[in-house]
Amino acid sequence: MNKKWWLVSPPVFLLISFCVIPLFIMVYYSFLSDGTTGHLTLQNYLNFFQKGFYLKLTWKTISTSLLVTIICILIGFPMAYIMAKVINSGKNIILIAIIIPFWTSQLVRAYSWQNLLRDGGILEIILRKLHIIGPEPLGILFTQTAVIIALIHIFFPYMVITIYMSLEKMDTSLIEASKSLNAGPFTTFWRIILPLSKPGIISGSILVFVPSLGVFVEPRILGGTEGSVIGTVIEDQFFEIYGWNFGAAVAFILLMIVFISTTVLSKFAKEEV
Amino acid sequence: MLKKGIAWVYTCIIFTFLYAPIAVLMLMSFNESQYNSLPFQFSTRWYNELANNQTLIDSSLTSIYVAAITALFCVILATMLMLWIVQTKSPLKKWIDSLIILPLTIPWLILGLSILLLLNLLNWDKNFYILLVGHIIISLPYTVMVIKARLQSLDFSINEASASLGANEWTTFRKITFPLLFPAMLAGGFLAFVISFDNFILSYFLIPSGQSTLPIEIYSSIKFGFTPEINAVSTVLLAGTTIIIIFIVTVMKASLKFLFK
Repeated sequence: MNKKWWLVSPPVFLLISFCVIPLFIMVYYSFLSDGTTGHLTLQNYLNFFQKGFYLKLTWKTISTSLLVTIICILIGFPMAYIMAKVINSGKNIILIAIIIPFWTSQLVRAYSWQNLLRDGGILEIILRKLHIIGPEPLGILFTQTAVIIALIHIFFPYMVITIYMSLEKMDTSLIEASKSLNAGPFTTFWRIILPLSKPGIISGSILVFVPSLGVFVEPRILGGTEGSVIGTVIEDQFFEIYGWNFGAAVAFILLMIVFISTTVLSKFAKEEV
Repeated sequence: MLKKGIAWVYTCIIFTFLYAPIAVLMLMSFNESQYNSLPFQFSTRWYNELANNQTLIDSSLTSIYVAAITALFCVILATMLMLWIVQTKSPLKKWIDSLIILPLTIPWLILGLSILLLLNLLNWDKNFYILLVGHIIISLPYTVMVIKARLQSLDFSINEASASLGANEWTTFRKITFPLLFPAMLAGGFLAFVISFDNFILSYFLIPSGQSTLPIEIYSSIKFGFTPEINAVSTVLLAGTTIIIIFIVTVMKASLKFLFK
């Protein structure tokens, strides 16, 4: 009665055949010279590591994701703290309002920044009325800045929600205790609040950093010619150039970066807590 | 008092950032100008054009069709998995747990292209079944999470009571577990629907030629030229998703106690 393999085998079969096995096939393709007919070779990887262009793009992808993650922590932490410890009423509404954009189409949200950031667009008009910028065009759209803004917009809710959940669990009396022992706000933050919210910050960072590594739609729509990242290289290989073997190799490298960063961050979360 | 004031100002700034682009998009969908230019002039022109744009309507129908089937399969598969997981003492449980969340930890780009390579290796053409399988795989972890949250809050002694009163397993499931689980199954199904409906990347890799889904149409319009109907169709899309999400949150509020206080 405890076995009931018929319950578990269909979904497991589906996941193994169409999620696990394809990853091995991807690795297999990455070592082939041409399609399925070619011979085994390391050439795809050599091409990647010998060209400064691809290494530069890899670094750019990683540093962009890092920057997005750090900004998400910096603006997300105060928001989560406000929700958990400052505001008493209306908390659920704020929470729902943060969750809603998070589930709406990522594509539409990336596109929505085009309208706003465009030269001659609404942001430019508002900034000019406020005399923050002069008559020159805004010049943000089709740059790396636009991509970073959109990525923060897309992944920011993950960070707020995970930090909020860890702050919510934290006992508020600890903050009071720290204050009554004459600790300044900075000390209280550094010694009490930050260490106790570390698990939330780390899981939020995984949820922001990892998907940022694999994006290609946002750089395509908002990044213009500056927008190339690993994701767009892979898209090109599969849809424009038909270099599937090289594309598979780049995808495998991306997957390794994802695995390494997830492992490192999770290790980090387990320390000293 | 000052602290609360600062808190509300900060909250307003964050919400301006979160909602300004969406608001501008919705506003522009009612703007007469073809190039999103100002001053604003109210018009429902783009909605009328949308109603006559057969390509967009057909691709929306395809998206709804794919999302509905995906949702149905996700609910069935996730329920099966979770009924097994909560009762089992199998040593494989840990492995199966991590297998379920695997699609969440891999970028969709990589999942999409690896399924495409599987097709290529087997010499199969792209087809609708594979597209559905791709959508099911990426949506399943979310449905599982919703149903799991509900199952964990249930008391299993009720099942034992039912069994000790002579009900067989099927009767117990039909009369006890299923009614208790139903709200979560519904919410999980809608969640899978939303994820599949909005999904661009998997469809992009796996769609059979000559077919398209709404996100694919939107992407190619954005990429290859300006079509102001995209503002209108995006507004409809956002409104639809928002309604479904509010519905899910309402249904699941009891099980999401860890989030909503």
